[in-house]
Amino acid sequence: MSFFARFSPFFGRFTLQCFFLFLLSGGAFAAAAEGEALPDHDHLPAHAEEVFNVLGISITNSMVMVWVVAALLIIVAQVATKDLKLVPSGVQNFVEWLVESLFSFFEGILGHKLAARTFWFLGTIFILILVSNWFGLVPGIGTVGWELTGAGVDSHDRYRPFFRGANADLNLTSAMALTFALMWFYWAFTEIGLKNFLAHIFAPKGEFKGIVLVLMGAIFLFVGLIEVLSIAVRPVALMFRLYGNVYAGESILETMSVMNVPPLLKWLPPLPFYFLELLVGFVQALVFALLCAVFIKLMCAHEHEEHDEHHGDEAHGEKPASETT
Amino acid sequence: MLLDTFQFLAVADVAVEGEGPLGEILRKFHVSWPSFIAQWVNFIIIAVLLKKFAFGPVLGILEKRRARIAGGEAKLAEIEKQLAESERRTEEVLGKANADAKRMIEEAKLSATALGERKTQEAVASAQQILAKAEEAAKSEREQMVTELKKEFGRLVTNTTTQVTGKILTPDDQSRINEEAIAKVS
Repeated sequence: MSFFARFSPFFGRFTLQCFFLFLLSGGAFAAAAEGEALPDHDHLPAHAEEVFNVLGISITNSMVMVWVVAALLIIVAQVATKDLKLVPSGVQNFVEWLVESLFSFFEGILGHKLAARTFWFLGTIFILILVSNWFGLVPGIGTVGWELTGAGVDSHDRYRPFFRGANADLNLTSAMALTFALMWFYWAFTEIGLKNFLAHIFAPKGEFKGIVLVLMGAIFLFVGLIEVLSIAVRPVALMFRLYGNVYAGESILETMSVMNVPPLLKWLPPLPFYFLELLVGFVQALVFALLCAVFIKLMCAHEHEEHDEHHGDEAHGEKPASETT
Repeated sequence: MLLDTFQFLAVADVAVEGEGPLGEILRKFHVSWPSFIAQWVNFIIIAVLLKKFAFGPVLGILEKRRARIAGGEAKLAEIEKQLAESERRTEEVLGKANADAKRMIEEAKLSATALGERKTQEAVASAQQILAKAEEAAKSEREQMVTELKKEFGRLVTNTTTQVTGKILTPDDQSRINEEAIAKVS
């Protein structure tokens, strides 16, 4: 393996990544060295690739990326919260702004109680996806790797990057989506109970009597089955939407990087797409977290609205209707 | 290039016999239990650590700050309420003090008027009394002087009579001459 000698086929992309970091760092970053001959890599694999193997467990480049992002998040969190002050400044100020803004955003959708219960998940989802997506634009991600040699190596894919966009791995997006699915049901059952949960899906909405009730019951039973299908599809849609968008972005960047242009202009074709990816990275994080919050709200809404009304009545010194009658 | 990518995705992995659509998807995207569990563990660890080191402390300090602000606002409201109450009481006290002061001034004016009149009357009475006493004293003094003058006149008349007549007058003569002289004077 010859690691850093194989910057590319993505020298243009690497240079552009450096340019982005140069802009972000105010010009403190030195430009990368020129790459050498390019190994074959005419497509971005649809899956994460093994970087090394520990006790038979395959460690992929997207896992390494998640570790890097996790380490970054934990360090920032530690620095921000090591010495919390009532009057914040510096990193604490930024982290407080981020957390408070996110909490207010989810609180606006879910209400205070449910937002307080679910914020650890929704906040983690948003921040992890956002930082992972944007971290994929940092120099070296997807562009620094080594060349595979020997028999059995795909001649179209001899390049293996150390890092890969974390969300361009269906294992991570499915892990997040299925964790959401589990927590979703847990929150729904604990908030409204199994009976209300089933009633929410299958029970007729409205007051019906006699034959109309039987007819509406049959209709709502059928609607409930569709709702069950819809509920089952939602986590799957979440995982594939995120994966698809990030993978598509990575693919476009790679494709633009190997466009047949003069070497000194290799950086140009992917340039617009870097700005696009900045936007897509944010939008995908927002969409994933927002959809999770909306799904939670839809499942837990009724009971909470009643609770809120009761709390509101009690706060105004009035008894709930059930207690006054 | 993009076309190459899509063609690769379509044909790179040869379908395995008996494999369903789900199995094909899992194989094509390399979704396997070890990788899935590893990424799930990664996610859970990140979530737990973020909750412990970021969300928990930050939401805690935000709540503490919110409680402090709410407490400050409650205290401010209480202080404003106390201030309003204090102002109200001050106004009441001032109003009452003003009313009392006016009443006292009126009473003092009335009292002063009454006292002035009483003192004037007393002074007039006293002056009249002094005048009467003076008049009485003068009258008495004048009467006494007249009496003494009469006695002196009688004595002079008696002495003169004695010297002129050369005769020693008896007390009866003296008394008679005095009475005649006094009668002629008065």
